Amino acid sequence: MLCQKCGQNMATTHIKTVIGGKVTEQNLCGYCAAKKGYTGFADGSISGLLSSMLGQVMKSDNGVFEQACSCCGSTFADIAETGKVGCAECYKTFETELLPYLKRIHGSINHTGKTPGSTELVVTEFIDKVSHLKRKLANLVAEEKYEEAAKIRDEIKELEGDK
Amino acid sequence: MSCWYKDYDALGGIVISSRIRLARNLSNMPFPRRMDAQMLRTLKERVKVAVDKMQDKVMLKFIEMNDIPENEIKAMVERHVISPDFANSCRDRAIALSNDENISIMIGEEDHIRIQVISAGNSLDKAYEIADMIDVALNESLGFAFDSKLGYLTECPTNIGTGLRASLMLHLPVCESRGEINMISDAASKIGLTVRGMYGEGSKASASFYQISNQITLGISEKNAIENLKVIAQQIVEREKSARADIDKLNLMDTVFRSLGALKYARIMSSDEFTKHISMIKLGVDEGIIENNNIKPVELLISAQPYMLMKNHIAITPLERDEARATMIRGLL
Repeated sequence: MLCQKCGQNMATTHIKTVIGGKVTEQNLCGYCAAKKGYTGFADGSISGLLSSMLGQVMKSDNGVFEQACSCCGSTFADIAETGKVGCAECYKTFETELLPYLKRIHGSINHTGKTPGSTELVVTEFIDKVSHLKRKLANLVAEEKYEEAAKIRDEIKELEGDK
Repeated sequence: MSCWYKDYDALGGIVISSRIRLARNLSNMPFPRRMDAQMLRTLKERVKVAVDKMQDKVMLKFIEMNDIPENEIKAMVERHVISPDFANSCRDRAIALSNDENISIMIGEEDHIRIQVISAGNSLDKAYEIADMIDVALNESLGFAFDSKLGYLTECPTNIGTGLRASLMLHLPVCESRGEINMISDAASKIGLTVRGMYGEGSKASASFYQISNQITLGISEKNAIENLKVIAQQIVEREKSARADIDKLNLMDTVFRSLGALKYARIMSSDEFTKHISMIKLGVDEGIIENNNIKPVELLISAQPYMLMKNHIAITPLERDEARATMIRGLL
């Protein structure tokens, strides 16, 4: 369906307005929707919503995010403004800021799907298990529980040996 | 193989098509939004080499988007070959496309690479198998950006993890007429799925075609995301089926044949009127009311989209287009 306003682009934004019980509907392209002020969702995605979520961090922690990503030069302000990340490296650079939002969007921050070059889910499970055990080992060492730590260390060795 | 909307044997049901999309990025390169012209050229060249290398597995034609006329790009959206965002972008982009157009690799979309496989009917596993094979082959040459904790890294945080969007397109005319779509959509959103219109994000349903897809990509494996989608889609299909069983047959026949009559004899057919009728024709064919095997509702729906029409007919003004649509439909019926 074409945009009702310009008649040129594909209509990607459907706007339903209810005023005093009277319903009007419009089918617009992203550009015309933005011109009419429907900016939050004007690009037809949830990035507008995401950007407003990230923008809240900016408001509450003003001045903290001047650091720029070494790969693409993005600052957290750039990411907050667009709801889009600049490059893969940004996820490391702004890990602390981004993780809570990933958790909010997906309900998890642990990838459990495939790993590059493999279709075997077993590999992922293996990595998950080893990294879980390594974290456990580090905690036990920190707590000076050496006997338990030794058991975990052997378990890791055994798993890595199987690989 | 024929393109998805001409794979007639697989199109005769409530599940129209299955689509898999994988979002992938290269390491050490900004995402497309932050790339300059030289970077985009480098990206296209690297992907072209990788695509050429896997020709023994899958034959794809590499096309520069700047070489495709504007109206054909819009017609590609209507055929579901590319995303609306990819079509509307003013970046330097390219696409690697299979002959039947069921496999496409968009280069320079929101992410560096978007692998898309679309197939007719209820065939998500088959589509995923192909997308996965391409993903593995491309990764050998390109080495995708991946983090052991966060998975595949994408421009939009909503795609991070598996980068997978699996969708099923369903034809739900009776659920729609009973006003049940909002309820279905609410229920789906509670379990990480989303219901959208025929052309994805932000689009309205056309001809009662709805896309249901996974929303969550982090913390769930590809296999589980696809299984969840299949289970829920099956429940929606059952609901549509039982709703269809409740309809008064005489009324249904009357509506279906009125639509058939309009399509067979009208001289001017607007897009809105057409989608209403074609949905009824699809329902009529699936329920055995129309027994003419030559009527292909899904192909008709795609072929009668505005830019598809302009491609095959000289139609400039909206009225000319509506006339061309009516002529084309009459020819096919």
